[in-house]
Amino acid sequence: MNPILARSDRLALYLGGWVITGGLLASALARPWGLAWGPALVLLVPLSVVYGFVCLSAWYVCRATPLRTSGALAVLVNIGGAAIVASAFWLLLGHALARLAGQIPQLANAAGLYARSSLLLFTVGILLYLLATAVHYVMIAVEESRAAETRALELQLLAREAELKTLRAQIDPHFLFNCLHSISALTGTDPAAARRMCLLLGEFLRTSVKLGAQDRIPFSDELALAERYLEIERVRFGPRLAVERAIEDGAGNCAVPALLLQPLVENAVTHGIAHLVDGGTVRLEARREGAGLQVTIENRCDPDRPKRPRTGVGLQNVRKRLAAQYGNTASFQVSETGGQFRVELTVPWEEGTGR
Amino acid sequence: MPEERSIIRAVIVDDEELARSVLCEFLAAHPDVEIAATCANGFEAVKAVTELKPDLLFLDVQMPKLDGFEVLELIGSEVAVIFVTAFDEFALKAFEVHAVDYLLKPFSAERLTEALERVRGRLALRERLPIRAVVSTARPHEGPAERILVRDGPRVHVVAVDKLDYVQAQDDYVCLYTEGKKLLKEQTLAELELLLDPGRFVRIHRSFILNVERLTRVEPYGKDSRIAILRDGTRLPVSRSGYARLGELL
Repeated sequence: MNPILARSDRLALYLGGWVITGGLLASALARPWGLAWGPALVLLVPLSVVYGFVCLSAWYVCRATPLRTSGALAVLVNIGGAAIVASAFWLLLGHALARLAGQIPQLANAAGLYARSSLLLFTVGILLYLLATAVHYVMIAVEESRAAETRALELQLLAREAELKTLRAQIDPHFLFNCLHSISALTGTDPAAARRMCLLLGEFLRTSVKLGAQDRIPFSDELALAERYLEIERVRFGPRLAVERAIEDGAGNCAVPALLLQPLVENAVTHGIAHLVDGGTVRLEARREGAGLQVTIENRCDPDRPKRPRTGVGLQNVRKRLAAQYGNTASFQVSETGGQFRVELTVPWEEGTGR
Repeated sequence: MPEERSIIRAVIVDDEELARSVLCEFLAAHPDVEIAATCANGFEAVKAVTELKPDLLFLDVQMPKLDGFEVLELIGSEVAVIFVTAFDEFALKAFEVHAVDYLLKPFSAERLTEALERVRGRLALRERLPIRAVVSTARPHEGPAERILVRDGPRVHVVAVDKLDYVQAQDDYVCLYTEGKKLLKEQTLAELELLLDPGRFVRIHRSFILNVERLTRVEPYGKDSRIAILRDGTRLPVSRSGYARLGELL
């Protein structure tokens, strides 16, 4: 939509300009036409305002002929042509209007006067159209820079949000405090195990911070991080947490978004195994499936577990990230049947720099 | 002042073995505290409290099946409680507001000693926790209840609300009818009514709440009253205002 029509204050300012133009025309033509001020204004101000609306068409001409990409000839032909057509149209309208004005006694010979000044009015019409075109070019440039600014801000905001979310995903405070408590417990009974836990936790935090800063990583790195996480949780949960893997050879070479698998494994433990008195098994599966990598995480869960409002936030984040990065070429499915929780995702196969 | 300390019998409830062991280790330095039992979940905790009648419960908040606050609702009036948690925003707020004793994982032996000191004071004064208030702060309203917990001595029944047929008031108790069973819970009908989904449960009478999915028809009975007939043939009285509420819903 024309930016002048989009806002009423702009439109009022624009039409005001045309009323003044009409006034100037009247003052210039009243003497040669032998008319009094009043009748000249009555004839020329409406004509000028009508031309104002005609000149709004300059917006389409400007859009079709962007200064940055169009050649000088194209600009000349397009704008010149539009100006000639518009001015000619204006002239015709003017004649019709002058004939109509002939009904008023003071303007009885308006049509004749108008015909005598046709060439002058045609030239003025072309000049005014060129002026309108210049105004539109300026407006378009202003709008574009404003839109670019908004877009840049929005992108910045999105990036910041994603960063925060990954940070939060990396270090769940609940996980961290429980780990420290386990270490505290082991210090008294099994110092060697306490030290091992410290090392595991340190390595886990270091790796997740490192991977979180990257965009795409080999699936093998993601898998290694998840394994480390599971090893830590096995210290906490003891025999309640078992892990099974079925990772196809070569699956680790696919490039995947960083921190894709870890939140899913964490979900399987905190919302699955942690709610089972006797614990259960987390099963990880990955294989190449046609042109994609298929990953499945399965765990037993308690169908009657209390559902807190924050449940499912981690899964939602992964779903959103997949949608943002792959559109509909990735899939993400969550199902729960008979105490078995299953997350299945597919991403397009991209050869990563497998290590 | 002569130190005259009676033995405190404590039960430790935590689903993580290491968490239980660190408490046992720290408590070894307090000869006046005797560990009566350690429990790995809420069901065991209810059983232990019923059978052993301890003075003090160390209660983990996050546990499978029954969380710490559900255990508190079931048995909290019989025993002093020290909550133990790693991180739970709402629980911490509840502890602060209602001056509940708690330990944040990881905690030190000194912090445990402080908590025990306070518990000794509370035991001496026979101070009781404002259980309802604590629970409602710790678990802010999350929509209608999905399940109802009923304690039956050492056992806990978990009743899913869609398995509930109707509820009858009996003095300070409510009688829950579910899957052909009758379960008695210490709660008033008005309290229970607030917890249930008003789109599925209607107070049809001063003494009855009905799961509307169980209703087949309502028949006139006598001059001014009606009677509801359930799918299994049960007949329940419907008061005039109860009939109006039923009409609103259907």
